[in-house]
Amino acid sequence: MAQARLILDELKKNGVTHVVGLPDNSSAKLFDLLSEDRDIRLISVTREGEAFAIAAGLWIGGKTPVVVVQNTGFSESGDGFRGTITRMRVPLVCIITYRGYAKLALLRPEAGGNALDAETLSLPHLDSAALITEPTLKAWGLPFCLLHSDEDVTRLSEAFTEVQENQQPYGILVTGDLT
Amino acid sequence: MLTKDELLEPLARLRADAVIVTCMGVTRPWGKYSKSELDFASADSAMGHTADLALGLALACPQRKVICLNGDGSMLMTLGTLVTAVQAAAPNYILFVVQNDTYEITGNQPVPGAGRIDFPALARGAGFMRVYSFEDSDAYARALPEVLSAEGPVFVAVKVQAGNEGPISRSDRESAPYLRVSLAEWARRLRRALGASAQAT
Repeated sequence: MAQARLILDELKKNGVTHVVGLPDNSSAKLFDLLSEDRDIRLISVTREGEAFAIAAGLWIGGKTPVVVVQNTGFSESGDGFRGTITRMRVPLVCIITYRGYAKLALLRPEAGGNALDAETLSLPHLDSAALITEPTLKAWGLPFCLLHSDEDVTRLSEAFTEVQENQQPYGILVTGDLT
Repeated sequence: MLTKDELLEPLARLRADAVIVTCMGVTRPWGKYSKSELDFASADSAMGHTADLALGLALACPQRKVICLNGDGSMLMTLGTLVTAVQAAAPNYILFVVQNDTYEITGNQPVPGAGRIDFPALARGAGFMRVYSFEDSDAYARALPEVLSAEGPVFVAVKVQAGNEGPISRSDRESAPYLRVSLAEWARRLRRALGASAQAT
């Protein structure tokens, strides 16, 4: 698990001006910190698709936004993400909490892989939101890495460099609840 | 009910240095009145998120007005944006809903609730304090200076005759400058026009 405070510090180190998103249990601590922070403005949205379009507008206007959403919300964002961030090649770092990640390991022994058939997607002890996360990111052209613990927090700075070099978004998948 | 020309011509005259974000049925007609690099066509289908994009611009550029010409079909896709916009409290944000009651780009099929939707009531319910509604071109033209100078966020519903605009392409065939290049390129042109490239990358 990673500390929300370290992530916030990393965002500040990279000049982030706005965080746009919706909290979940994993990101709640980060949102708590942001709600009291004076350097980064938190923009709360009613649905995740809004977040990506707002972030695109912020970037066009010269700001450095980050989007924070759950993987379920990322799926909801579909065409909003494609029609703004992807088409505009916005150098956006997206922090996506990975609901259901811990149970993914249960899939491999019994199903022998990541086959996304109807039987697998409906298994009661697995979270289908997690099952589709990485395939969805790959299909939507969003490169990503996993952030498991404090040791991985520096991946955020690497992501900020990467988005600028490639002029495209990058996803940070947070696999546990932030503390 | 206004024609698109009656909606757009006065706005083009009075917009000063405002950013204009267009969507769907007014995207191409706006190009008749403006060749400005402060225009942005959010017409590539993002499931109704034009008003969100304009909100982000308004938050980033508090020193100038950002005017969004949203479609009614697009607005219906993201009604939650009305709440988000009020919460974000950008005083320079002006959200028009161009209400023609149809999905004009796809052949003027009626939007859900056509003829019954009360957009000004939805905006007031979301918390907009300044809400305008126009069905008459003279009243619109008279009020526009006040609308554009009001402290926002401002919501403006305008009933407009449906036209016959087809799908937007980004190609040399389009006359509007903002449709002749890719979305990625125009986004960077607008960044330069706003001086944003120097602020941050």
